Amino acid sequence: MRTLLLIVISILLLPLVVRPAIASEIWIFAIFGLALNLLLGYTGMLSFGQSTFFGSAAYVAGWLLKHYGINVFAALGVGVGVGALSALLVGYLCVQRSGLYFIMLTFALNQLFYFIAYQWTSVTGGEDGMPGIPRPSVLGLSIQESYWYYAFISLLFLLSLWAMKRIVESPLGKILQAIRENEVRAEAVGYDVPRFKLLAFVIAGAFSGLAGVLYAMLFGIVPLEAIGFVVSGNVVFATLIGGSGSLYGPIIGSFVFIWLSESVSTMWARWPLLLGVAFVIVVLFLRGGVVEAWTRFWTWRSSKQTG
Amino acid sequence: MNLLLGQILNGIATGMLYALMGLGLSLITGVLNIPNFAHGALFAVGAYLLVSVVGVLGNFWLGLIVAPIGVALLGLVIEWAGVRRLYAAGHDYQLLFTFGLALILNELIIVIWGPVGISHLPPALLRGGVDLGFTFYPKYRLFVMGMAGALVVLTWLFLEKTKYGAIMRAGIENKEMVSLLGIDIQMLFTVAFALGAYLAGIAGALTAPIRGLSPGMGVDMLGIAFVVVALGGLGNLLGAIAAGLLIGVAQAVVAAYWTEASTAVIFAVMAAVLLVRPQGLFGIR
Repeated sequence: MRTLLLIVISILLLPLVVRPAIASEIWIFAIFGLALNLLLGYTGMLSFGQSTFFGSAAYVAGWLLKHYGINVFAALGVGVGVGALSALLVGYLCVQRSGLYFIMLTFALNQLFYFIAYQWTSVTGGEDGMPGIPRPSVLGLSIQESYWYYAFISLLFLLSLWAMKRIVESPLGKILQAIRENEVRAEAVGYDVPRFKLLAFVIAGAFSGLAGVLYAMLFGIVPLEAIGFVVSGNVVFATLIGGSGSLYGPIIGSFVFIWLSESVSTMWARWPLLLGVAFVIVVLFLRGGVVEAWTRFWTWRSSKQTG
Repeated sequence: MNLLLGQILNGIATGMLYALMGLGLSLITGVLNIPNFAHGALFAVGAYLLVSVVGVLGNFWLGLIVAPIGVALLGLVIEWAGVRRLYAAGHDYQLLFTFGLALILNELIIVIWGPVGISHLPPALLRGGVDLGFTFYPKYRLFVMGMAGALVVLTWLFLEKTKYGAIMRAGIENKEMVSLLGIDIQMLFTVAFALGAYLAGIAGALTAPIRGLSPGMGVDMLGIAFVVVALGGLGNLLGAIAAGLLIGVAQAVVAAYWTEASTAVIFAVMAAVLLVRPQGLFGIR
């Protein structure tokens, strides 16, 4: 309850601190992070290809919005559907292998989708991206204005968070955690492990797809990078700095990551260099992420106060 | 028909380079049990180092010797300064570390050599072509085929016929056992990383005169190296060669008829093979 209150307060305060576009991006990326964390944190599957589903959903829904003027709910539905379907295709090939093979396969199939988007210029616009994506109104209310769109995104984020909380606390969520803890034992107890992994993969794909559509409508364009490996890496990074051990970790990670990257990337074209340095520093010195650092800080403080 | 034969030859040349990449990655990933997302960047550094060394010394052959050694040294430093501290840390952090390195190396390439692609001529001795009867074929590509083939054979001889190669293979199979036998496993890891980096570096150096250089070359090759390992299996030499040739030839043949799809086809072929054989070409772990 306290956490929820904290989140609602941050939703309300955030647009006062940063531009609404960045604030919107933070919650979109948080949905994306929630999706990855179902795999990474709850099932123990390290997917390095999440932009496949994010990008595919953005392209398909964006194209339908642009050329057929579908309404906003249809766009969201298409995004979720495309995300889930592409995750089903990719996941089917990936979940049969585990560990390092799994990671490499998610990346390789990400590259497949990337190169299709790169070369299919008549649809995707290739390197130039797919511009001109409209933002239709919601039940007669216009969300053209950035603060209204921010409110719409925040609402969808809360809905996603609620849904994800339900999923991880459901029996399904417990089975996924059992697979994470001990795959062989989960199999021995009688669970069809590959099938549950695939299910988790599809659910994560659906959430990633939702994030992808919201992203396309936020900027009115689907850039080629949306389906590229850097986005896949960024969401892993954001989730890890937030801490993959909790449901809320990716939210904090998204906040830190988007804020930092938006402030730095506008200042220096070579900012991926700094991003790389940040990755290395976090890995070598700050493993466990912000949440763990925070917890450690509090235990340290309270131990000092009592002691 | 002649076009097709020429393309198949091209495919064999690039396929051998892919096999080298997969082999190096396979050594690093197999022995150290880490995902190496910097493997493509090491490839790119090899290519750019070649261009610089040739620029300074004016000799391609010296470049071909020096550049991969430079990459091997870089691999040595990476293992010593970073990877070594992450063996107990889970694949997620290992991945983030090597991915961070890839970003850093990629950006440094842009800073040092510029964002625009560079073309690089083969050495004078290997310019022009030879008449193979059915087609007039570039000498340099024949050289690459032979050179990459020789390197694969040398790696095979090292792994299969030398004592240290046997230890390395044992390390892929069972690390605990190897260290229990009193072998310096840390040393083994360092050697494997440097050797894998060397193979990536020389593949990059050999590629430079064929395809030219661009900062994006590393990432493209990273995905391809993953495909080779996923299809061929970790530590499987024959698997790496078969997978490399398969995707190299598929890519070259498709390029002749449908150029736009020539990169996507590499990954599509992988997906198709995995659909039929989820365990890869030779059914590995």
